[in-house]
Amino acid sequence: MSLNYQYFPVSRPSEGGGGKTGNWRIVRPLVDLNKCIGCKACYLWCPENTIIPSDGKVTINYEYCKGCGVCSNVCPVKAISMVNEL
Amino acid sequence: MMSKVISGNEAVALGVKLSRVKVIAIYPITPQTYIIEELAAMRDKGELDAEVIRVESEHSAMAAIYGAASTGVRVYTATASQGLLYMHEMVWWVAGSRIPIVMTVGTRAVGAPWNIWNEHTDFMSERDSGWIMTFASTPQEALDLTLQAFRISEDERVFLPMMVGMDGFILSHTKTRVYIPSQEDVDEFLPPRKQPYTLDPEDPVDIGNMFQPIDYMKFRHSIHLAMLHSIDVIKEVGKEYEKKVIPIGSYSTLNDSYKLDDAEYAIVSMGAWSLDVMQVVDELRKEGIKIGLYRIRYVRPWDEEDIKKKLGDKQGILVLDRSVSFGRGGHLYLELKSTLPEANIKGVVTGLGGVSIGKDMILPLTRKFIEGNTNNEWFYPSEVEKVELRNPRYIK
Repeated sequence: MSLNYQYFPVSRPSEGGGGKTGNWRIVRPLVDLNKCIGCKACYLWCPENTIIPSDGKVTINYEYCKGCGVCSNVCPVKAISMVNEL
Repeated sequence: MMSKVISGNEAVALGVKLSRVKVIAIYPITPQTYIIEELAAMRDKGELDAEVIRVESEHSAMAAIYGAASTGVRVYTATASQGLLYMHEMVWWVAGSRIPIVMTVGTRAVGAPWNIWNEHTDFMSERDSGWIMTFASTPQEALDLTLQAFRISEDERVFLPMMVGMDGFILSHTKTRVYIPSQEDVDEFLPPRKQPYTLDPEDPVDIGNMFQPIDYMKFRHSIHLAMLHSIDVIKEVGKEYEKKVIPIGSYSTLNDSYKLDDAEYAIVSMGAWSLDVMQVVDELRKEGIKIGLYRIRYVRPWDEEDIKKKLGDKQGILVLDRSVSFGRGGHLYLELKSTLPEANIKGVVTGLGGVSIGKDMILPLTRKFIEGNTNNEWFYPSEVEKVELRNPRYIK
């Protein structure tokens, strides 16, 4: 018996299922790489998974970052500042 | 197999234990409280190897087992009335996520006004949620259907949650003889559960996230088709059950019938009072009236083919409903009418809020119907005293 009719509402976590969301932003997080100690707290807390750890520091994927400011808040060394987008 | 004199609630609790359920969410609501008390006691005595979660509401109960079932284990909860209504949102989430879950509904009237007695309106209110819905008419059937429910809902052709209804108090609290299968027989009948996807940190998936309109519609269509395909699964599982587990019931068809083959008239009913209807059928048969009973066991899926085959040629069909869609009539009556639009079908709404309806009341009701004097009505078994209502206090 064919099970072709069976579909499940399951998806793999991936970037941009609903399109690029970076243009929702009014403030952008800016990482001061001189201050960054690479603790990855921002990476763990980012609700959109837009922070990418690289070379012991972090960079931000602005195509999906919505500018919520969680990273800036959790950074223990205040290396991330929220700057006006305009 | 052994037999014991137990209540419907105890029978269901034993069924759940025999099914080797791993997670149970418990929240008390009359009349199903006894089930979860039994299960908690079994767990306390070490007879039941399951996680029992005490939750703060029915909404949380369904949410808790929804999460647990997503990891691939067998889960269970029970509810009734206001509890089921409070759970309503999660009931839809579970079906939409295609998670197999089994739940017992000890049916009870919905307030206001406050009423704890039996009625089917709470159960019927979940008719469109995507759950498979079956209704027991004896404590034995409540146990049998609970065991079958796990097999049916976990089948790869189905993957839908399933609720087993049972008349509050009439079945849940009345003790009768119930045959209980052995653990070995149940283990053979009910293998460990398999699921095509699970919550697993090694291989993460999103369940129930946002879908674009066309995908959403495709999923809804998929639920519809799974519901239609479940008809075959139910028959298959039923046949295996009556052969291997308890060789006394008759589960090879979705709905049951009694003296219907040569009947000119038919009564359609669901739940415990079907047994009273059987006595009515016997009584009227003695008088030479050819009448039979068609007992609805499955509300969803709706066995349209069988209903057309068995009831299509009857002169008259009387539908007894213990639930009502206000302004339209009983739910079963409406379903029957849409299945057989040409047939002479009359619906009677009665027994709401625990109004006791037995053989002695159904008999004159049926006579009246055969004489052709019934026109979709509400039947009260006794005089209703006028309730003193308070005059409204108008704002001046």
